[in-house]
Amino acid sequence: MPDGDDFAASLMNDIDPRLLELIHTRINSFIKWDLVRFFHDNPHTADTADSIARYTGRDVRIVEPELLQLARDDVLEVEELAGMRIYTLVEDRDTLNLIASFIRACDDRQFRVKAIYHVIRSLR
Amino acid sequence: MESQRVPTGIAGLDEMLHGGFLPQTANLVEGATGTGKTTLGMQFIQHGIAARGEPGIILTFEAFPEHYYRDASAFGWDFPAHEAQNRLRVIMSSPEVTRADLQQINGRLERVAGQIGARRMLVDSLSHFDRLSADPVELRRITYEFINGLKRLGLTAVLTRENAALLGETPDSEEELAFVADSVIMLRYVEIQCTVHRALVVLKLRGSDHHKDIRQYAITAHGLEVRQRFEGTQGLMSGTATMTHAEAFVAAFLSPGTP
Repeated sequence: MPDGDDFAASLMNDIDPRLLELIHTRINSFIKWDLVRFFHDNPHTADTADSIARYTGRDVRIVEPELLQLARDDVLEVEELAGMRIYTLVEDRDTLNLIASFIRACDDRQFRVKAIYHVIRSLR
Repeated sequence: MESQRVPTGIAGLDEMLHGGFLPQTANLVEGATGTGKTTLGMQFIQHGIAARGEPGIILTFEAFPEHYYRDASAFGWDFPAHEAQNRLRVIMSSPEVTRADLQQINGRLERVAGQIGARRMLVDSLSHFDRLSADPVELRRITYEFINGLKRLGLTAVLTRENAALLGETPDSEEELAFVADSVIMLRYVEIQCTVHRALVVLKLRGSDHHKDIRQYAITAHGLEVRQRFEGTQGLMSGTATMTHAEAFVAAFLSPGTP
């Protein structure tokens, strides 16, 4: 008989394994979640961390490390231009489809609850 | 000749422009908030894609692409579908990044234009360049450089610019900008007998003649509609029109009820 924590975990793991992996490995913070949604909704944005922080209503000191991690994890691309670091969404079709699936899944409250559970666990 | 023009898709405006903009030019649309600058620009892009098979780019500073999708949809223009078919890109960036990008060989904007075969562009809005320099001479140099960078891409561009004055005269700084653009269209609110109307005038069209009358226009469910010229009024561009002498005479002595 599984204990309470295991039971909760098994319920929370009941989502598309590709999306579960995406949350575990790439969208493992609420800031990243917000940034991924922003780039999904505005897919041809090409801008600095400072501007992206402004667009998302956050502090650049918090946003920039998360942008860099998303770039390291191949969700975003980063390019140096005239001393500025410019972030854009990757063009890889598989990644874009995966992100689109994640954003669509977030329309479902049950999925959101599970995703929030996994993000919180990642933050521990 | 009309075939050498780039029509905006707004019938009355194309008539004023003798068929449309000249190809590969930078065309300034200037007006106060809410006058329909962005709508005019989006209509120019939509017409290119839907009626002429000319892909377009919308370059926005600060305004979210999702707002363009929503606003376009209100006019029945499906921008997300155009993007999915690689006939449109709505790019959000900042003036600093765009300026640096245009100075590169095969920069991002140039690559995007090449990927979709873009022929038209909307830049919304040039007003954001103001933050790049407090010095008007330097700002003019930056804007001139930016416009020439766009021309190098071989696109026909509409550039919007916000006019701070709701009614009345244009500030001097905007006359400076008009100098570097190939054409200048002004959208104005005008007050006539306690009612606000919208007025459009083509101030300049480099290398071509154009209609110089001041036309009424409206923003309808299908976009901008340029209508007939204002009759019987003068001083429209000052913001507060008065009746011409002839109209004043008619109103004073010949109107119904006059003995």
